[in-house]
Amino acid sequence: MTHSLHREGSLESLEKEYVLFIYPARGFNYKGSAPKVRHLVELLYQAGPVNMIPTSLRRNMYSGVTNEEILDSITVEGTRVYSVFNEREKLKKALTLIKAADEGISIMVSGITDRVRDIAAELGITPHMVNLSLGIHGNTDRLPPADIREFTTMCGHGVVSPHLVKDMIRRVKTRKIGEWDGSVLLAEPCTCGIYNPCRSAELIREKAPLYAVDRW
Amino acid sequence: MIIHEEICVGCGRCQPYCPTAAIRYDGLKSVIDQDICYECSTCLRAAHCPVDAIAESPNVYEYPRALRRYFSDPSATHAATGIQGRGTEESKTNDVTLRVGPGEVGVAIEIGRPTLGMSIADIEKITRAIARAGVHKIEPHNPIHSMIANEETGDLKKEMLGERVLSAIIEINVKRDELRGILRTLREVAKEVDSVFCIDACTIVDPDLHIPEEVLESIKAEGFTWRPNAKVNMGLGRAWE
Repeated sequence: MTHSLHREGSLESLEKEYVLFIYPARGFNYKGSAPKVRHLVELLYQAGPVNMIPTSLRRNMYSGVTNEEILDSITVEGTRVYSVFNEREKLKKALTLIKAADEGISIMVSGITDRVRDIAAELGITPHMVNLSLGIHGNTDRLPPADIREFTTMCGHGVVSPHLVKDMIRRVKTRKIGEWDGSVLLAEPCTCGIYNPCRSAELIREKAPLYAVDRW
Repeated sequence: MIIHEEICVGCGRCQPYCPTAAIRYDGLKSVIDQDICYECSTCLRAAHCPVDAIAESPNVYEYPRALRRYFSDPSATHAATGIQGRGTEESKTNDVTLRVGPGEVGVAIEIGRPTLGMSIADIEKITRAIARAGVHKIEPHNPIHSMIANEETGDLKKEMLGERVLSAIIEINVKRDELRGILRTLREVAKEVDSVFCIDACTIVDPDLHIPEEVLESIKAEGFTWRPNAKVNMGLGRAWE
């Protein structure tokens, strides 16, 4: 999960993306957290996330699960919630509601630091900690190309395969599938629910002309 | 993971789903290379085999192969920690736990990310380097901690060294004035491993999300840069237990 700070892409693309986590702390505020987390998820829905998963269900918003099923699953103490927004104003609305609710559960936001700073200042929120990405090190020659990593780094655990990204680009180019539907399929392996299908569809549109239509 | 040969129809649909390209054709059927497979179960969970030929390996929970599952399948509850995930709550709940205190920097080494994974033998190169740098305390709630045979040397348990995992996170705390030394160590050990790792540095911020100059100067002094995007703990949590 830590990996959301390592998302790759252009500034313009990353500015459209904010990951928000709801995280009870083991031994500090686990007990009694479930109804509070459920309330916070109800508030998130009002702001319009483009993807979300509670750890109590592990099915993303495009898996056919209903909002009620997601909410009703949040009965386990310590349930964490991972979500992603594709507009600054939506994130701001979510944080406004969360701050007003004052449930006392830790909230993390991954995004362009300067933008998060601006939003926090506008809402009178005082951030506590920053987690900086100091990049990728080691045998980086083995990595997939940077433009493919713009897709794969949307999944922190690395289970959105670079080969699947290339296959989906091929399928879009050969008109076997649309950009959105292809992006929903790319989001499915990501069990944290922070793969952003809106940004993914934009990326497929942008990258498809660069790739030949051969087998992945 | 395995593919039942007698059921597989050889459509190849599952192959691109594997993050490590362990699924290949053998004749007209898809097979999974057991040496390469991380047991992440992505193929089973997401590829939707039309004939249900994909199944869990019979030995997936046998030690030490089980480490592949615990570290590579995000939905698997880790036997060492009792929670899902490769790391801990780290910076995500620091407003409540204060695990990384004022004057400290939490450093996380995200092993094998993005996507490549890493052999445990390579992970040991990193834990040994960290130990040589004088850091002998890896976060005790992190599953990596349970793999350590000797904290002084950073040696991992020998029986694990033949395994590999899709991701793992080494978490340590250092004083701010020790950050340069650990970054230098990581820069050097990066030359020894056959895979990749990402480095995170988390620190309590000053008002207005101002990142302490001492931390930024240490990062710059060792030739590192930081990405424009970061993860921010918004400071809205509190303890009540």
